[in-house]
Amino acid sequence: MNYFLKRTIQLICTLITVSIITFCAFYVIPGDPARVILGPDASDEQMDNLREDLGLNRSFPVRYFRWVSGALTGDLGKSLTFRQPVSELLGQKLPVTLSLAAMALLITMLISFPLGILASGRPGKFLDQLLSVLGNIFFSFPPFVLALLMTLLLGLTLKLFVAGEYISFTESVPGFLASLFFPALAVAVPKIAISQKFLRASILAEKNKEYVRAAKSRGLSDTKAMVLHIIPNSLVPIITVFTIIASEILGGSLVVEMVFNIPGISRLLITAINVRDFPLTQGIVLYLAGMTVIVYFLADILHSLVDPRIRLK
Amino acid sequence: MLKYNKMNMGEDVRGEGEVSMQCLRIGRRLQVLRCACLVITLFLFTFSQLSCAPLFRTASRAPDDGSIYGGEVVVGITQEPTLFDPHTVVAAGDEEIIFNIFEGLVKCTPDGHFEPALAIDYSISEDAMTYTFLIRSGVRFHNGEVMTREDVVYSIRRAAGLDTGTPLRSELSDIQSVTLSGENEVSIVLNEPDAELLPFLNVAIIPRSVSDINDTPIGTGPFKFSSYRVSESVILVRNDDYWQEGIPYLNKVTFKITADMNTAFMQLRSGSIDIFPYLDPEKASQLTDDFQIISGESDMIHVFALNNAVAPFDNPKVREAMNYAVDRESLISLLMSGEGTMIFSGMSPAMGSYYNESLENAYRYDPGKAVELLEQAGFPDGFQATVTVPSNYAHHVNAATIIADQLRKVGVELTIVSVDWATWLEKVYTDRDYQSTVIALTSEFAPRDVLNRYVSDAHNNFIGFNSKEYDRIFSSIRSEPDEDERILAYRRLQEILVSENASVFFQDPRNIVAVRNGLIGYVVYPVYVQDLSVVHYEGAKE
Amino acid sequence: MRNIIRYHRHSPYLIVGSFFVGIVLFAVLISFFYLPHDPYATGIATKLIAPEFEHPFGCDHEGRDVLSRVILGTRPTVLISLSGILIALVLGLIIGSIAGRVGGLIDNLLMLLSDSIMAFPGILLALVFVAVIGRGMLSIILGLGIVFAPSYARIVRSGIRQLNNREYILLARLIGVKTPRLLVVHLFPGLLPQLLPALVVGIANMALAEAALSYLGQGVQIPLPSLGNMLMEGQSYITSAPWTVIFPSLFLVMYVLGLYFISEGIRIKYGSGGTEK
Repeated sequence: MNYFLKRTIQLICTLITVSIITFCAFYVIPGDPARVILGPDASDEQMDNLREDLGLNRSFPVRYFRWVSGALTGDLGKSLTFRQPVSELLGQKLPVTLSLAAMALLITMLISFPLGILASGRPGKFLDQLLSVLGNIFFSFPPFVLALLMTLLLGLTLKLFVAGEYISFTESVPGFLASLFFPALAVAVPKIAISQKFLRASILAEKNKEYVRAAKSRGLSDTKAMVLHIIPNSLVPIITVFTIIASEILGGSLVVEMVFNIPGISRLLITAINVRDFPLTQGIVLYLAGMTVIVYFLADILHSLVDPRIRLK
Repeated sequence: MLKYNKMNMGEDVRGEGEVSMQCLRIGRRLQVLRCACLVITLFLFTFSQLSCAPLFRTASRAPDDGSIYGGEVVVGITQEPTLFDPHTVVAAGDEEIIFNIFEGLVKCTPDGHFEPALAIDYSISEDAMTYTFLIRSGVRFHNGEVMTREDVVYSIRRAAGLDTGTPLRSELSDIQSVTLSGENEVSIVLNEPDAELLPFLNVAIIPRSVSDINDTPIGTGPFKFSSYRVSESVILVRNDDYWQEGIPYLNKVTFKITADMNTAFMQLRSGSIDIFPYLDPEKASQLTDDFQIISGESDMIHVFALNNAVAPFDNPKVREAMNYAVDRESLISLLMSGEGTMIFSGMSPAMGSYYNESLENAYRYDPGKAVELLEQAGFPDGFQATVTVPSNYAHHVNAATIIADQLRKVGVELTIVSVDWATWLEKVYTDRDYQSTVIALTSEFAPRDVLNRYVSDAHNNFIGFNSKEYDRIFSSIRSEPDEDERILAYRRLQEILVSENASVFFQDPRNIVAVRNGLIGYVVYPVYVQDLSVVHYEGAKE
Repeated sequence: MRNIIRYHRHSPYLIVGSFFVGIVLFAVLISFFYLPHDPYATGIATKLIAPEFEHPFGCDHEGRDVLSRVILGTRPTVLISLSGILIALVLGLIIGSIAGRVGGLIDNLLMLLSDSIMAFPGILLALVFVAVIGRGMLSIILGLGIVFAPSYARIVRSGIRQLNNREYILLARLIGVKTPRLLVVHLFPGLLPQLLPALVVGIANMALAEAALSYLGQGVQIPLPSLGNMLMEGQSYITSAPWTVIFPSLFLVMYVLGLYFISEGIRIKYGSGGTEK
């Protein structure tokens, strides 16, 4: 129980620090949002009206306190540019980015698990070496370069998809998933390489454990040993690896979204930064960072449930 | 086989090593491999199949029955819309959408005139102090309410800020009062005579009953606002009660927001966008199979703006040298594949009789003369300067890059400083803390709005132009009742901009629009709007 | 002979990696002395022309020579990745050794801070940082340095905690070696096997982050070419002039791939952790 408590306190502290970093960062940012909203030809009167409207005249602590207490109740203020509640915009765009990330994660698992098992079958042999070299090559492809090259090869040359085409999930769900597939693949490829590597190492380590040998010597078949013991147990250390991968996938999705013209959180974020839309940028950053922290937390808890030894460390 | 087996023993911990077992295992492993490959292939296959789906889905948006009425189009835009309140809107990208939702007493026509819209007729008093409009009756707002004179009064009062004291549209700040008069008339009384207010009375008429017009954009236009999804689309649907007979034709118009011209271009080719304005000429030439390419003057002033208040550009000789050092022709061919009209002063030929055509070729590209002028100005070895450009407008950055390259030939080292839009607006536009910049200037289709920004105390005179004569002539135009006199004065103002070498005005880029074959009626306006009420499918061939 | 091959069994990684990185570093080096064309010279005659003898990598939308721009464009990428990693390393060493040596509340606070920084997806924090302090080269270096520092701080901290109890450290302390000297002379070298591969990978990741930032228009600003912003500019012409995208990508991938290979090679040689058994 002690462990959970400690982790929870850590979680809260981290979240507070994250919120302070986020808020302070945008407090000192230069540029006048009123001018940006109204554009070059607005008169001074229009500008003053708007500044007053947006509450840009208040002091730092007042604004921070209002923001944090708002954030706790799900109210992140109103976007300066879109004049819509930030939470509503997040609600519109976050599902897109999360779907992309989730699909990338799924692809990563679906491809890396079989590959990892294959590679661990005969370590050091041709297949393993090949996978290892390929893995190292693909691992070093930046997702957005991969995305550009995929647009070029798969989109423009082979015409497998229409570059830049995006179908909203409100229009058609299969169409939405389809338009996310190649972007997700671009995000997933480097991660497949890394998770395959870890899985292979983990399976090999597990295979050597005494209980496996013992089970086998009592006549357990290889396949059974693999399916019943080795794979489940080798997945435990993978949990941590996958949380890191998940967070990286989120980061990768941000850039890949831009390449594929997917109207997810990333385009919103870049727009928000470019036009100095503080509430929106803060909201997005806080949300993404907060989510990562919570995912890490949940992964730790899960890890400790699966493997109680963790709690003693 | 055996040899392999032995080598594997150490690493692989396979206790018993019979040949037959080993073969079996390899067989199994291959099976696993095959299964895995199959799963992956199936997976890829399914998704690539699915991703072809949009191609089929967007096959035809034309009406099924072959009528010219009905159907839908998708218009590609690259700017994120931000505001739907027609009185506070300033971004050109917003205006092109809401032009279809809202209307004013008068409306701009494709040839640049203003004709009555929600008014049937108007009159301007002799002293240019009172404008009287006869209001059209039987017009309904999108929410079904009948538009009344009270709505007109409310809308103009709101835009002119008569109740709050701060006008939402600064051009209307001289309005003193708006009152009901006569039978179904509205009178607008001014503080000072102004013979040229009409173009600004295109201000949208909105219903009194709607408190938040930005959230619920309700007007009288040919299309009704339906939905907006950030970074995705704005959807408009047909207004069945539109007052003008016979239009609009389309049932639905989707403004699809794309990240940049390139993605829009690919979607044009794939069939998911039907109309795309402000297209790059180089891309337009690749679309001629499926599209009609329509172009027109855009009344946009693309300028290499020099800060007249800051060294070295405070010296008119230096500014003149810049005008000779910039090769407008090659600049336009690099930037626009030649699809731009060279300009030399601050007005576009699109303005018709107001435009002073005698200034054409006021400067001919002549680097030798530029060097000479620089010598006279005291820069025999040229100088170094910066050009501050907004990084989000690739077009301006490109123009700056080309200009910098051209200026190097006369010994001027122009360093490009690219800043984000917010910084540009603050540093360049508001604080005027810059040496030079590249930007495109848009305005209402009215000569006053075009030339207002060079009056020395104008809030948007960011180039810091300062000419007493200019100010004097400009202020006299306002009360001049005779149109011909006003035309002469405007032409004189353009001459002053050239004789004082205000900046390097180089082109009015042509607005090139791709319209899918089968769509008829699209017209290019000399202002930043998309008029979709007249667009329709060609219908069944007789 | 056999033994030599055996010894270098895994060094193909090192050789290939060094080769790739070598090409990129060579490009940086010659960018100071010679460029085939003026990388800023625009021209209508060469607008979007395909690769040919005079312009082996073709020309971009303004008629600028892509080869010259790629050569020049490697400079910011390499410069930022190397100096960024230096900042990250210095910060990591300082924070990590304070946390590792002092322990207690300060350790907890420092680790809380680094946890919080690591909670942001890297690119997100870099974006925020650049938005806050401006888009210059220096701010990218600083921003990326800070983003990457926590992971090194963690390596240093845990390394020091492990080494703290080693006999030679205990002995050194017994004979009165001062803490700074202890850190620099005895502790840091002991961390090298763990730090070195992480550093090389860090350089690669930093190059990637720089490229991504520039690609998003928030990093190195045009007209100064960097591999990332060349990709951004080229993307608009990917249909008609793919070479404006392919060649910058190639150099970026070579640099990153080369670094990953080198780190893999080091890891195998040192045999520290790694994935090769």
